[in-house]
Amino acid sequence: MTASAEALARRAVTLGPARALGWGGVALGLLAFWLALPPATVRSPLVPLVVGGLGIAAGGWALRAGAGRRLGGSAVAVAALGLGLGLLATRSNVGSLEQVFVWSALIASTLRAATPLTFAALGGIFSERSGVVNIGLEGMLLMGAFFGFLGADKLGSWEWGILCGVAAGAGLAAIHAVISIHLRADQIVSGTAVNFLALGVTGYFFIEVYTDQGTPGDVSTIPAVSIPWIEDLGFVGPAIGRMHILIWVAIAFVVLAHFTLFRTSTGLRLRSVGEHPRAADTVGISVYGVRYAAVILSGALAGLGGVYLSNGITHSFNENLSAGRGFIALAAVIFGRWRPFGAFAACLLFGFSEALALRLPGAYGEDQAWTTLFRALPYVVTLVVVAGVVGRSIPPAADGKPYVKQ
Amino acid sequence: MTDAPAAPPGPSPELGAESAAERLARWQRAGGIVAPVMTAVLAFLVGGLVVLATGSNPLRVYQGIWNGTGLEWFSQVGSYRVGLPFSDAEVWFPWDPGSRAAENLQQTLLLTATLVLTGLAVAFAFRCGLFNIGGQGQYFAGAYFSIWIGSSFAGMSSLPHILLALVVAGLAGAVWAGIAGVLKATVGAHEVITTIMLNWVAYFTGLYLFGQGGPLQNEEQVFSPTSNEVVESARLPVFWGDPLLQGLHVGFFLALAALVVFWIVISRTTLGYQVRAVGFNPEAARYGGISVARNYFLAMAISGVFAGLAGAIDMLGWRFSIGFSDIQSSTIGFVGIAVALLGRNTALGVGLAALVFGALVNGTATRNIPPDVFPIPEQAGNLSLTIQALVLLFIGADILILYLWARTGRLLGFGRRAAR
Amino acid sequence: MTDGSTVLELRGITKQFPGVLANDRIDFDLRKGEVHALLGENGAGKSTLMNILYGLYQPDEGEILIGGRPVRIHSPREAIERGIGMVHQHFMLIPVMTVAENIVLASEPTKAGIVLDYAAARMRVEAIAAQFNFVIDPDARVESISVGQQQRVEILKALYRRADVLILDEPTAVLTPQEAEELFAILRSLVREGVSIIFISHKLNEVLQIADRITVLRRGRKIDTLPAAGATEEGLARLMVGREVLLRVDKAPATPGEALLEVEDLHVLDDRGLPAVRGVTFQVHAGEIVGIAGVDGNGQTELVEALTGLRPVEAGRFLIGGVDVTGAGTHRILDAGVGHIPEDRQRRGLVLEFTLAENLALHDFDKPPNARFGWLRPGRMVARARRILEEFDVRGGGPQTLAKALSGGNQQKVVVAREVSADPRLLVAAQPTRGLDVGAIEFVHRRLVEERDEGRAVLLVSLELDEIVSLADRILVMYEGEIVGEYAAGTSEQVLGIAMLGGTREEATAA
Repeated sequence: MTASAEALARRAVTLGPARALGWGGVALGLLAFWLALPPATVRSPLVPLVVGGLGIAAGGWALRAGAGRRLGGSAVAVAALGLGLGLLATRSNVGSLEQVFVWSALIASTLRAATPLTFAALGGIFSERSGVVNIGLEGMLLMGAFFGFLGADKLGSWEWGILCGVAAGAGLAAIHAVISIHLRADQIVSGTAVNFLALGVTGYFFIEVYTDQGTPGDVSTIPAVSIPWIEDLGFVGPAIGRMHILIWVAIAFVVLAHFTLFRTSTGLRLRSVGEHPRAADTVGISVYGVRYAAVILSGALAGLGGVYLSNGITHSFNENLSAGRGFIALAAVIFGRWRPFGAFAACLLFGFSEALALRLPGAYGEDQAWTTLFRALPYVVTLVVVAGVVGRSIPPAADGKPYVKQ
Repeated sequence: MTDAPAAPPGPSPELGAESAAERLARWQRAGGIVAPVMTAVLAFLVGGLVVLATGSNPLRVYQGIWNGTGLEWFSQVGSYRVGLPFSDAEVWFPWDPGSRAAENLQQTLLLTATLVLTGLAVAFAFRCGLFNIGGQGQYFAGAYFSIWIGSSFAGMSSLPHILLALVVAGLAGAVWAGIAGVLKATVGAHEVITTIMLNWVAYFTGLYLFGQGGPLQNEEQVFSPTSNEVVESARLPVFWGDPLLQGLHVGFFLALAALVVFWIVISRTTLGYQVRAVGFNPEAARYGGISVARNYFLAMAISGVFAGLAGAIDMLGWRFSIGFSDIQSSTIGFVGIAVALLGRNTALGVGLAALVFGALVNGTATRNIPPDVFPIPEQAGNLSLTIQALVLLFIGADILILYLWARTGRLLGFGRRAAR
Repeated sequence: MTDGSTVLELRGITKQFPGVLANDRIDFDLRKGEVHALLGENGAGKSTLMNILYGLYQPDEGEILIGGRPVRIHSPREAIERGIGMVHQHFMLIPVMTVAENIVLASEPTKAGIVLDYAAARMRVEAIAAQFNFVIDPDARVESISVGQQQRVEILKALYRRADVLILDEPTAVLTPQEAEELFAILRSLVREGVSIIFISHKLNEVLQIADRITVLRRGRKIDTLPAAGATEEGLARLMVGREVLLRVDKAPATPGEALLEVEDLHVLDDRGLPAVRGVTFQVHAGEIVGIAGVDGNGQTELVEALTGLRPVEAGRFLIGGVDVTGAGTHRILDAGVGHIPEDRQRRGLVLEFTLAENLALHDFDKPPNARFGWLRPGRMVARARRILEEFDVRGGGPQTLAKALSGGNQQKVVVAREVSADPRLLVAAQPTRGLDVGAIEFVHRRLVEERDEGRAVLLVSLELDEIVSLADRILVMYEGEIVGEYAAGTSEQVLGIAMLGGTREEATAA
């Protein structure tokens, strides 16, 4: 063996610790933030500074040791974020921190925020697994939110709202499907177009129906269900014992989607169309049929997420209520490697950052202008995740490529 | 040497497996000016159907929009004496520069100038194969910095002050877009997601900067969430119309110059050659020794300069301040997407498409729509948004448009031989 | 075996594509239990004809008869229902799925009508494999098995669907001679079971070896159908090309000079971060062609990419003209005197939407005469392109023509022209003749030999063993990222084939 081969072998050995160092950096970053929160509630700014600093150093070291740009870079970014948030936390008073970090309330809030994302992300998975990139999730979410609210208002019950919202999302998806499957448009342009369409249509009808009075407050909303034996559990009881029914549905859909994709013949055919449409075509699978079904299903799911957003969370509708959630869901799809459980985990992460964004300003009093910046947190977290992890995951081979029947 | 299974070599007609850029090129050759015109016409027709569905008369609505654009000014030919801007000289002119239509036209051109720049911001990235839907955030970045510079340094003389504000705004846009460029170039993060996220970060940053208690909030009106006013020395000179009533400012010429710069850079410089090569086929460009990553970054940064300048000429030219409600209602960066795609990402096309959308946005502005035409004037803005969406949809559906065109051609007798 | 009855017949098939008459009134018939070869050059219309039979294309004219009755086949599904199976040149397999999943796709065994019964799928696959003597692991992911095995999966896919007519499109293109022998054995056993086989190929020797009858196509027309017995390679070549062809490349012995490429213990990783090139050392001298032979996926692609700066080097180094350029980046390496004819001209060699002039400037676009001080000079770029296109006899367009408008052969000429006209010291050619017709192949081969004779060093990487054997002055065999042997010009394909499969030198010499 020559010298350089030995060097290579040595590198192979050191690569393990480098990766560990990278993940350690990520963990230290999270720790820097966590230590400053209840119940630990460290008050010295030194602690997050030191711990976060160590995290950044570990990330940097991992970078140099060859753990890869992404892991090392993510470690540095996460540690810096943790350091910053930890420092901020030490600056607020303990009382309000404890108000914000009531963990059970935070978990409940996380699950609520994650639910619209989860529905949309599941939709995105079906669409992309069939080979159609769905940038239009944002618009489908918005359609669901408006027509779900409108349906619940005018038809008098939240069940009707769900039906209307799902139909509206599916309808918009059908347009995306025709343009990008049959007319073989650039799927990103087509998705952007349906996003604008949703913005225009929901804005139009919103003003048409509710003029400038805003939406009424007495509309039938998504009810919560109590599950007694969970409610009585110690820590999780208060958090998830009594939740909106659609949250449970979302969790059930995650399991169902996984089963459908990986354990049924339908799922096998769907995935084959997304990986190698010509191969699917040559054994007699209708590529267009599968893609239409998947895209329309994705619109229905995103629409359901939209219904929950308006009828379950905000209890009202505003123009552009979806506020980029469709794109965050898309990031969750990629982060979760096109798998339902992975995407769900990503949605929980983004949901947590949204819950934090809503509750953190409270820790500093309402009059602090800079706490507005917390509202950008979900978007910053998505950016960091997209930059850190997403570039590495491999999409279905035919994702985004129009298929031409011969 | 595993082959991508979807791309068999040889002469089989693989129309579908083409990239967005390839499609763009085909589309540019296939229909000439006809296809975009048909796209726009079709979009307005379907938009009319939407109006009809809600119980209004589309013809009257479009008439109302048309009247608001000021474009009928060109048909009102007469004989007038006009003072040359920035001088005392007077010359003969066939149109009345002071009519009502002229005022509307000034506003249409005002929007056209901004849309040219936000359109170029999308078009330049697109030529490199990137879809920059972050024009809105880059516009904000430029707007914030130009407001900051423009409302400070009150003692400066005019030209340096304006230039400083423009340069800083352009750089701010470049940095904001460059973040997405760097992420794309180094870790392959998809620019569509990153630019959208950056839009929202820019949005909330603005709410913070100019919100109550924010660092750039108006010093005199403490309870109003808006910025300081741009001082006199940083305002762009108005060459047509009333400077206080949103007359047409010299930023219009900046936009025209940007079109020329775009054309020169794309088709006459080695940078443009590289950008186009990467946009058409990054793989082949890399094999030829062109750095794909470097071009991704540069293309995004240059796009950001265009969008940042758009923000600057709006702030320095006629808005002079920015507040909560401006930030919340601004969509000019997004309209740039429709402008670029309808204009097929060429300089001339972007210029013409910007005029179309400038007229549309101005014509549908609340004050331009009489209430007897449209019961709720705010609706016109949503109609404009819907028409933009339809334009994008029909651009996506170019195959349909080209098919319709081919059919029409055949009907008129100069098409190719009839179908079997 | 052949009992003479006709299982299917094609009559007067015509198919037109924009600008090409791919099939012009072709007649073809297949008898039960025979191997009927369809012989022709690239672009002769073989694949089109078979895609029509398989329902992928619809013929403009003509009819298909199965068992004597005219039928219309609108889709592959209908073809499958009529007992026709096809093994495509580019496998229709999904790399990330298992062998069993690929085989049962769209005809899956299920529980309760919807739940995939994977255990049953595996059992059925094993049963069919056993029936036809195939050795295959049903649980392996397709991307992890060899190309030869992938081909067997394709055949099993057809058999699982009860095909009694099997179409094989260029099945040996990706196989070593030994693997091809195994395939022939399989085909013979299928014929014994009563399967009829259409064997598409452009290789004369193997057609003679396996076929009972041969139909020759040229430029979309059927030239003749003749029994394999009594046919000769020379005769078939004349029918196929329409003129006399030299089956061997004419070249003088090499006169190697100084080493222009020196590779020292090079290590390179593949896309997944696994070692692909593992300690490779060799030289290429001025005035010689060094051929690298090997089965697809043994590190050749990564080696070429590393040598052209497209892929980072993990360890070791390489020198061009005595200068260490390891890690220098593509631009500098090309500037150091390397010409690169990449393996996929449409994806990597050309920007199809660029004009020929722009394509010819692909790595000199920033140097005179194409540009000065960052400004392009389109006039000079076009003038230079016109000269080069003339010199290399590129037909079908001028400097302002888009590259995509050219035929495959002329596209490849443009790539060769660009790389050679830059006057490189080292020319790296990867799969330079893939998918070309005989005329273009002759051009590329002649040109490579000429460049060698002008004193350039030529590194030829090819999966076509006969190309390596006829062109190279020295042959290196790559197996699992290492160079496992060096052979002189004129070594037999059998010997090289054993080495390519990882056989020892002794085994190779013994063969």
